[in-house]
Amino acid sequence: MLFNSLEYFIFLPIMFVLYWFVFNKKLKLQNALVLVGSYYFYGLWDWRFLFLIIASTIVDYFVGIMIHKNEDDRNRQKLWLWVSVIFNISLLGFFKYYNFFVDSFVDLFEMLGYSIKSTWTLRIILPVGISFYTFQTMSYSMDIYYKRIKPCQDFLSFATFVAFFPQLVAGPIERASNLLHQITNKRTFNYDQIVSGLKLILWGLFKKMVIADGIAPIVDDIFMNYETYPASTLILGVTLFSFQVYGDFSGYSDIAIGTSKMFGVELMSNFKFPNFSRNVAEYWQRWHISLSTWFRHYIYIPLGGSRVSQGRAIRNICIIFLVSGFWHGANWTFIFWGAFHAVAYVPVYLMGRNTIYKNNVVGENSFFPSFIEIGQLILTFGIVTFSRIFFRSESLTDSFNFIARIFTDFQFVPYEHPNGYRMLDYFILLAAFVLYEYRIRKDERNPFKFKSKVVRFVAYTVVIFTMLLFYDSGFDRSFIYFQF
Amino acid sequence: MKKLVIKLGVYSFLILISLEILVRIFYLGEDKPSRFVDEKRVEKWVPNQEGYNVTGNRNQNFIRYNINSSGFNSYQEFEPTKDGVEIALVGDSFIEGFHQPYRISIGRKVEQKFNDKIKVFEYGYSGWDMADQLHLINAYKEDFDLIDRIYIKMKFYNDLERGEYFVQKSRLNLESPVNKLLKKSKLLIYFSEIGVLDPVRNLMKDATSLVKGGTQQAKPKKSSEDELEQEKIYLENFKNLVNLYGFDKEKTVLLMDESDTAKIFLDYLDENGFQHIDFGETINNSKRKTTLVYDMHWNNYGRTLIADIIIDNLENSGVVRNN
Repeated sequence: MLFNSLEYFIFLPIMFVLYWFVFNKKLKLQNALVLVGSYYFYGLWDWRFLFLIIASTIVDYFVGIMIHKNEDDRNRQKLWLWVSVIFNISLLGFFKYYNFFVDSFVDLFEMLGYSIKSTWTLRIILPVGISFYTFQTMSYSMDIYYKRIKPCQDFLSFATFVAFFPQLVAGPIERASNLLHQITNKRTFNYDQIVSGLKLILWGLFKKMVIADGIAPIVDDIFMNYETYPASTLILGVTLFSFQVYGDFSGYSDIAIGTSKMFGVELMSNFKFPNFSRNVAEYWQRWHISLSTWFRHYIYIPLGGSRVSQGRAIRNICIIFLVSGFWHGANWTFIFWGAFHAVAYVPVYLMGRNTIYKNNVVGENSFFPSFIEIGQLILTFGIVTFSRIFFRSESLTDSFNFIARIFTDFQFVPYEHPNGYRMLDYFILLAAFVLYEYRIRKDERNPFKFKSKVVRFVAYTVVIFTMLLFYDSGFDRSFIYFQF
Repeated sequence: MKKLVIKLGVYSFLILISLEILVRIFYLGEDKPSRFVDEKRVEKWVPNQEGYNVTGNRNQNFIRYNINSSGFNSYQEFEPTKDGVEIALVGDSFIEGFHQPYRISIGRKVEQKFNDKIKVFEYGYSGWDMADQLHLINAYKEDFDLIDRIYIKMKFYNDLERGEYFVQKSRLNLESPVNKLLKKSKLLIYFSEIGVLDPVRNLMKDATSLVKGGTQQAKPKKSSEDELEQEKIYLENFKNLVNLYGFDKEKTVLLMDESDTAKIFLDYLDENGFQHIDFGETINNSKRKTTLVYDMHWNNYGRTLIADIIIDNLENSGVVRNN
């Protein structure tokens, strides 16, 4: 079930009413409702893969208990932790990476001069959300291992934590320490929280339906036919893709966070206006925060983080970005994308500028950013956007050919929309979007922060009206991050 | 909860009103003309209406239409005479021409080519098939007898699904009191035009078929034998329509894309002296786009190409000369 589908807009109010007014007497009943609803939500895509979620839930539930039981025996705890890690990584390895490894070995042997006719690749469907829920369940076992939390004794609550439908298929990847206690404790009906959730849902839908889906046909056309387009069009294509992927994924996260609020649950922020980052390090503090946090907590810090020699710290940074790239997809393009970001991040780290923007935003004390900040924003956006060529291309060959064309076929030719639409509409839309996001840049959880009720009402109307102006019924409205 | 429901209700209502106003201000929802069945059982537009046809979410195609006293979109009245040269174009929405200005319609282009020495009446109506068209010609026999040449635009695989004329109730349901009331809201029309209501419609369709016993099964792909059988049925329908409503072979020409027409039908036409001309080759091989950006109807260039084909045929047939 997609957040931007009619089914969801029937499902959500039904769940909401049942949750607060029918099953509200007992926490267990509420959790049971959310669990059944979540399985239904997922099962509409493909019920067969529900078994993977259930298996992952069962394994980590027992692993958690066993780690805690063996409190005095660190080796046994480690052993149980490995059970969780191996189980979840195996699920990922098989469903997401198996064919990639087989193909890569075949390619490697062919490079060495041995021709192998591969019969090992399988027709495997990638279960939606597998990268998200496996990381979430693993984090639970690891948090118990590192004694950050106690294991959950209530299986129903734990299963609800794993399958919680707003964030099941594309995050935010929640750590048990943030989400689990909200599931095990009684939630109360909070008007302000629900209204704030509805506003986030509206803003998320706008980002998805208008920004992401609006420019998607242009991006698809340019990347599909890049060999026929000059540099100006290719630059346009990858720039628009930057907005598309941001609108798509941050829109999804906003809807997920907003939906959770409607059920009295606060999820972590996943995006904090990454397009207003002043260097690559700040970008990674603002983009897909739940994944970055996961890697920092469970890989970077255990490896020693930055509290080791500079060489080892750089190694750790490279590992994190390569793993992050590989997490996104079983393709060398994603690994290159990760490597590119490592290369862009390391100089920032070496200059000691990787944390200087952690607690402030661009134009912190003024309405407009300074000229230096504008330069920083453009440079960072340029670097990140350039890396998206790897992210979006089908293969490494396509990526490098795309880049080569940018540098060898430099000419400006006005681009015509594949459906004949006026391009100016999209440029005006994006300019307005960037300016509006700049205005709200200090609070990602409150996109309609206006003192005047009238202005707020006008903002809702304009947002909905723009959604109609750019609505495309014939477009595949799936989310990009579902493929990861 | 009470507060939430009340506020949601009030906000939703106010937003809908605001959207209705915005849609009207920016003219995003098209004007829907009314239709009716006249005393000769011909379904057409209620005479003497005018308004705007709007296509695209952002009013990208905005065209004025003018329904004349005969119930067709045209800049002129259809009054055939004994002395003048009059041509009739009969067809569906492509001839009706709501998608391009009526002042540059196919008929008008033909008239201008002959320096307005002839008149071209465009009897076009969205959704018409061969039964509608032949029934019209038969019902208004006295008018069509005065007309010197008739071109019927047809699509073999769409227009011959029935062998007898009857009033299509599904189209007239759009004139039901409920639909008339709904048409008062430009916002609803806009929703419908841009596809916002499609998911609701699909859901209702699925629910209906579920209630009727099972989900909708995809139609099995037709084999070539099935297709041939279907083509034979269409041919029989054509013969039946000709028998029922008549067909003046001397002055009636079928205008069609022959690349999308069954061979048995073309053979039948040739063997039995039916005149037909092909626009498929010209349209399909055109280097310039011949259809509109926002829908599949002919654009100005497409119309010019069709007009040129008709002009050639008129000159070759000797009905009219360009001098």
